[in-house]
Amino acid sequence: MFTKDIISWMVQSTKSTKFYILVAAIAFSLAIPLVVGAPFLIHVLTLIALFTIYASSWNLLASSGQGSLGHAAFLGIGGFVSSLLAINLGIPPIIGIFIGGVFSAAIGFLIGLTCVRLKAWFLGMVTFGFAVIAETLVSQFDEVTHGILGFRTPLLVPSGLPFYYLAVLLATLSVIVIYYIMKSKIGLAFRAIHQNESESRMIGINTAKYKLYAFVISTFFAGLSGGLYAHFLRYISVSIFAAGNSFKPLMMSVIGGLGTIEGPIIGSIIIVAIDSLLPNIDKFLQPALSPLFPAVSFVGPPLRFLGLGVFLVIVVIFFPKGVSSLLHKIHNYFRAETKKANNIERK
Amino acid sequence: MIDLSTLILTLMWGAAIGCIYVLLATGLNLIFGVMKLVNFAHGELLMIGAYMGYSVCILLGVNAYIAVFFSMGIVALIGIAVERLCFRRVLGSDKLNEIFVSLGLILIFDNVAVLLWGGKSKRIISPFENMSLTLGEVSISYDWLIAVVFVIVILIALLFLIKKTKIGMAMRATSQKSQTSMLMGINIERIYIFTFALGAALAGAAGVLYGIIFPFNPYIGALPTIKAFAIIILGGLGSIPGAIIGGLLYGIAEQTAVISLGGIWRNAVAFSVLIIVLVLRPKGLFGEKGE
Repeated sequence: MFTKDIISWMVQSTKSTKFYILVAAIAFSLAIPLVVGAPFLIHVLTLIALFTIYASSWNLLASSGQGSLGHAAFLGIGGFVSSLLAINLGIPPIIGIFIGGVFSAAIGFLIGLTCVRLKAWFLGMVTFGFAVIAETLVSQFDEVTHGILGFRTPLLVPSGLPFYYLAVLLATLSVIVIYYIMKSKIGLAFRAIHQNESESRMIGINTAKYKLYAFVISTFFAGLSGGLYAHFLRYISVSIFAAGNSFKPLMMSVIGGLGTIEGPIIGSIIIVAIDSLLPNIDKFLQPALSPLFPAVSFVGPPLRFLGLGVFLVIVVIFFPKGVSSLLHKIHNYFRAETKKANNIERK
Repeated sequence: MIDLSTLILTLMWGAAIGCIYVLLATGLNLIFGVMKLVNFAHGELLMIGAYMGYSVCILLGVNAYIAVFFSMGIVALIGIAVERLCFRRVLGSDKLNEIFVSLGLILIFDNVAVLLWGGKSKRIISPFENMSLTLGEVSISYDWLIAVVFVIVILIALLFLIKKTKIGMAMRATSQKSQTSMLMGINIERIYIFTFALGAALAGAAGVLYGIIFPFNPYIGALPTIKAFAIIILGGLGSIPGAIIGGLLYGIAEQTAVISLGGIWRNAVAFSVLIIVLVLRPKGLFGEKGE
């Protein structure tokens, strides 16, 4: 019954424009390293693919009305489990990243049990706090985790192009899985809970159960991306639990478009591009602006973060549905224009 | 075993740290009670308050404890700007939007502070530097005692404002039923601005007291916010006596954990308390109504 549903969706979805956009996006991401071969750009593109998984996992959780402020905890758990398994037990990293995901989902299940009863801001605080607790625990058991100084993680696949293609493959699979989850009845329940929890309970949705589902699925993908991230950087330490890593997927999803499937992808492209490419203009900014701010030695990084903060506030206030809603508006505008043109021709 | 003097010292330190958190928690509680808004950037106001106190001390050369009042005024003005420009626009929409705006504000405040004052740690030099009251084996710095006195005075003034004045009555009415109080002729937008400014001023005062006792940098804001949150949850949402008792209990618990378990546990304690209280008693220890 369930598999039949999935197959029928798949058949249906091949007829939609979204399917063609997906195919085009995959083809584009496979072809782009052949055009721009610079190792640095491939590094950036791989980061985009990794953060697409991570931001999509956050976005799935947020689509059920639960805004986590401590997703870095699950990123870190995935990364540590996968790299420690590879070092201590010799488990191949390609299996390790999935074990990391499952482990992270198991912890997510436990945290979710506490969180499903909480309102938005308490949930934010508890998840944020969980990231700090995870950091403290990893530092406390340093003999096992080697977290304080960090350690070199084993090779997953050769870095550069092979890693990029693996990341794109996993990102595509994750996005497709999350897409089908969001289109299914589960996803419908998530959106209902997000809009009005007590009403959705009234129409017979077991809200606690579905919120827990969202937690487990989301933390699985966060753990998976954490494993990939650790093997990509070839290094892991407790700094992976930093608040910045928790806020990144949030900013990506919100700027891209909360609750949409394309939002986290657009958001991760924007944020990773800002993070990786904008430092190039620092050497022009530095002489121009450093007399204005004598207290700081490098004006670039704080200015960038300041800009990101302003950007986030502006997006939330003026475009609550993110950049992807702008794209939809443009698309609709052009469709209306062509329709108008067709009508005039017909007349 | 821990001997008596360590115990007394732990209790005193805990009470002094707790007092600063009480100020922050009371401001957060006030804003939540009246506006039903959770300002995750409240700790950044504390950080800005500490820097304002530092700058006032340096530029005007005044006593650090007089700078508390300057800082309260300036941070209250910043609070008004934040409320009008940011929170006013998302109030009443999706709760997640308030969290996102707060996060944006955290980024903005932190990095403005870095640009203006640099990323290095600073301290406000108090006139009672290195002076302490010695009682037997225990010696307590005057700064801790003055911080406690300051917090008590501010809290008494706040209680007077809320219980006895007209605007305090309007705030209480708005916190009970905002629409009905609008019908009764209360300008709730003005009450919102006043409440936010008041909460920000408390954070500004807490910031200067924090800056006198601890070194601070632009990134200290996040943890006090969460500790204030843990205190509010411990004491019960919307209950000011609850926040005071919760703050003292929390400060003592934190110091005990630092002394018995080690310094890295300082911050994890906050969240363990938070999670345990939320699991066992979601209404808080003294709260009357849930959530």
